[in-house]
Amino acid sequence: MILALGLLACADPVAPVPPGTMTVLQEQQAAWVRNFNPLLSTGGARWPTSAGIYEPLLIYNRATGEFVPWLASSYRWTDPARVLEFTVRPDVRWSDGQPFTADDVAWTLNLLKRFPALDAAGLWTFVQSVEAPDAHTVQITFTRAYSPGLALVAHQPIVPRHVWEAVADPVAFANPDPVGTGPFTEIVRFDPQVWELGKNPYYWQPGVPAVDTLRFPAVASNDQALLALIDGEVDWAGSFVPAIARTYVSRDPEHRGYWFPAVSDTVFLYPQTTAAPLNDARVRKALSLAIDRDLLVKVAMHDYAVPSHPSALSDGYRSWRVEPPSDTWVRQDPQAAAALLDEAGYKIGADGHRHGLDGAPLELPILCPAGWSDWVRAAQTIGHDLDAIGIHAPLQGLDFGTWFDRVSRGDFALTLGWSVSGPTPYAFYRGLLGSGTVKPVGEPAPSNWQRYSSPAADALLTRFEATDDTAEQHALSASLQAVFADEAPAIPLFPTPAWGEYNTTRITGFPTAEDPYATLSPNTVPDALFVLTRVRPRSAN
Amino acid sequence: MGPLIQLGRRLGLYALAAWVALTLNFLLPRLMPGDPAQALYARFQGRIEPAALDSLRVTLGLSDAPLATQYVLYLQQLAHGELGTSLVYFPEPVSAVIGTGLGWTVFLAGGALVVSFLLGSTIGALAAWRRGGWLDTVAPPLLSFLGAFPYFWMAMAAAWGLGFELGWFPVRHAYGPEVQAGATLEFVASALRHALLPGATMVVASLGGWVLTMRNAMLVVLGDDPIRYAQARGLPPGRIFLHYAIRNALLPSLTSFGMAIGFVVSGALLTEIVFAYPGQGYLLLQAVRGQDYPLLQGLFLTITLAVLGANAVVDALIIALDPRART
Repeated sequence: MILALGLLACADPVAPVPPGTMTVLQEQQAAWVRNFNPLLSTGGARWPTSAGIYEPLLIYNRATGEFVPWLASSYRWTDPARVLEFTVRPDVRWSDGQPFTADDVAWTLNLLKRFPALDAAGLWTFVQSVEAPDAHTVQITFTRAYSPGLALVAHQPIVPRHVWEAVADPVAFANPDPVGTGPFTEIVRFDPQVWELGKNPYYWQPGVPAVDTLRFPAVASNDQALLALIDGEVDWAGSFVPAIARTYVSRDPEHRGYWFPAVSDTVFLYPQTTAAPLNDARVRKALSLAIDRDLLVKVAMHDYAVPSHPSALSDGYRSWRVEPPSDTWVRQDPQAAAALLDEAGYKIGADGHRHGLDGAPLELPILCPAGWSDWVRAAQTIGHDLDAIGIHAPLQGLDFGTWFDRVSRGDFALTLGWSVSGPTPYAFYRGLLGSGTVKPVGEPAPSNWQRYSSPAADALLTRFEATDDTAEQHALSASLQAVFADEAPAIPLFPTPAWGEYNTTRITGFPTAEDPYATLSPNTVPDALFVLTRVRPRSAN
Repeated sequence: MGPLIQLGRRLGLYALAAWVALTLNFLLPRLMPGDPAQALYARFQGRIEPAALDSLRVTLGLSDAPLATQYVLYLQQLAHGELGTSLVYFPEPVSAVIGTGLGWTVFLAGGALVVSFLLGSTIGALAAWRRGGWLDTVAPPLLSFLGAFPYFWMAMAAAWGLGFELGWFPVRHAYGPEVQAGATLEFVASALRHALLPGATMVVASLGGWVLTMRNAMLVVLGDDPIRYAQARGLPPGRIFLHYAIRNALLPSLTSFGMAIGFVVSGALLTEIVFAYPGQGYLLLQAVRGQDYPLLQGLFLTITLAVLGANAVVDALIIALDPRART
């Protein structure tokens, strides 16, 4: 007992973090599990396996709207939107010293064909064949013209053939000692509560990475993440922090900062569009016009978010958005909302409520996962706004599993929900308007929960697939934005901010609003590679 | 009836209870809405391609086989000690995932339970022994008051105040980041230091219960004839206290202790989340969120077996201690 007290009484030895070590908080886990398989779609691999230990061919930079050459030095379409040719860098080596070649790329892509469980991006739904005619060239033939396939192929992490060939079942492979091309590949230490990733001795970018080691302490909750941030223990994080200027930055304004650009997926109020009254675009627009989005982002999002653009495209698609937008249906205007509802036949009765065409009072419950406090507050604000135009829209909080099951089966009137994102607005609008994503009510759908399809949008989406010309894609995107605002398949609320915090006491070079070379948030993959290859220890300035 | 037959009958009951628990364990996760592939997909919130849902279904090898077939397979695997592959931590086997946290949970929650039980029973016994004394006046109401705080709030306040603001205790993890796990004095000291604050919050929250149970049982025993007889015979008070009063008053507390031991492995969920302690509780939460049937089954299995096992041991102890239980 005395011995124990003696041990406890001695001062806690806080060993200084070795210089050149960057502490990162990205995943929230109570204990780390050793898994570095970049091909797993379950998300079971540790961050930054898919973009950090392994690398893609190109990286789409949302800040500039361009593909940045990565493992491939260039790409071109040899047959428009149908045959894609990558030229890979000649000077890249795997972390075991072996040369990286086009054969590794072709072999990885063909591996996904043999094991559909690993094909998370669904490449083989549009790829016909992959070949490596020489050591520097990869040729990918699509089954049809499908330009959005470029981003999907370009972002696929590439694994070394000479290592993975010997793996009998790559789906059940935890890859405990990864061999990759990325800036950080060496597992220096792996304990359940902290693990460290050292740099690749053969990294292809000269002088990169400047940071020696990445350290990942296991932190299980937002509160713990907040304590670690405030304590100054963490150099880079992607957590939500309430009142960040006061709680975090004010303790050391010179070194601490955050950047929450509105580039993540847009949060929508989804109407189930197969049944009255939400099958009527006028009603959906009326709901949108009833909502006070300025208040909504203040109440629900701590003022970190901004109201949605009429096209619903977040700031991540800034280069694609039509400015000024042709329609302002996302600005609050209760009179216009009332006029639209009157026109659609949903009149106010003697009881002050609007009634359906069958005479029953309108009631549109809003589903929301219980415990998602930001969304719950958003749904309450919306319910209040809809009450003001005579529609009763009570909040219905559900357990997450139940909520997602009902939403994906189309068993709802209104629900809050996220949206699909990608480098171009193609996937985004396909999930909102395309007939290809519509599933019958009762069958689970991964996107298009509102079950809406637009013939006008289908034609535009097909033309988008068929062209690799960026100018034409931008023109088609403009038309899609007009169709979206016209048909109102879903009601955009606000784009989710990409949470990112930094502390430059030890490490510098993070992207900021003034130097937006990438998104600060480590949660945006593969963009995080831009940051991992740019940051450097302060002493090395 | 001899004590052995009595014990045998109890064991039979335990086997039956184990079977019922195992079957429920199999059925309950399957009654949850949705499927694990959907749950995993939903966790990405649109950051992965919708096509990933199909690849997830293939990866997880979700079975469409009839429940009866799945049940037989489940029992067969259990018999071989196989708990399957975790879905959230795919492709890690369930046993390995549980292995990361079980030891720490037993250390932290078990340690806190033992300390709380010993300390609480001692305080309770002393309070009853000197009824109306200062300890009896102060301890039970104060400890009940502390125990009535919402645990989550108290733990966060302790982590913030004592750990963060004052810096007296580490606020997270089971041992320091600079310490390598191993049989060194440094590691043991670090682990103890890290367990102190979370353990103390658990002790403070549960102490009141042990004190009251022990005090009440003790008061009843002290009023009993054997104690009066012992006092009348002029036995020294210390001997009466230790040999006659405590031994008898301990029985109800011992039963609760056995139950509590079983629940230790289910993890101190809130403690582990507040203090980022790598234990079972957080795994359970993850498993429920991710509809990770195999992991849920594995966790429930360890909990069930621990509860049943601890109860069996306590039963045997009580049969040994209390002659009345033998009839």
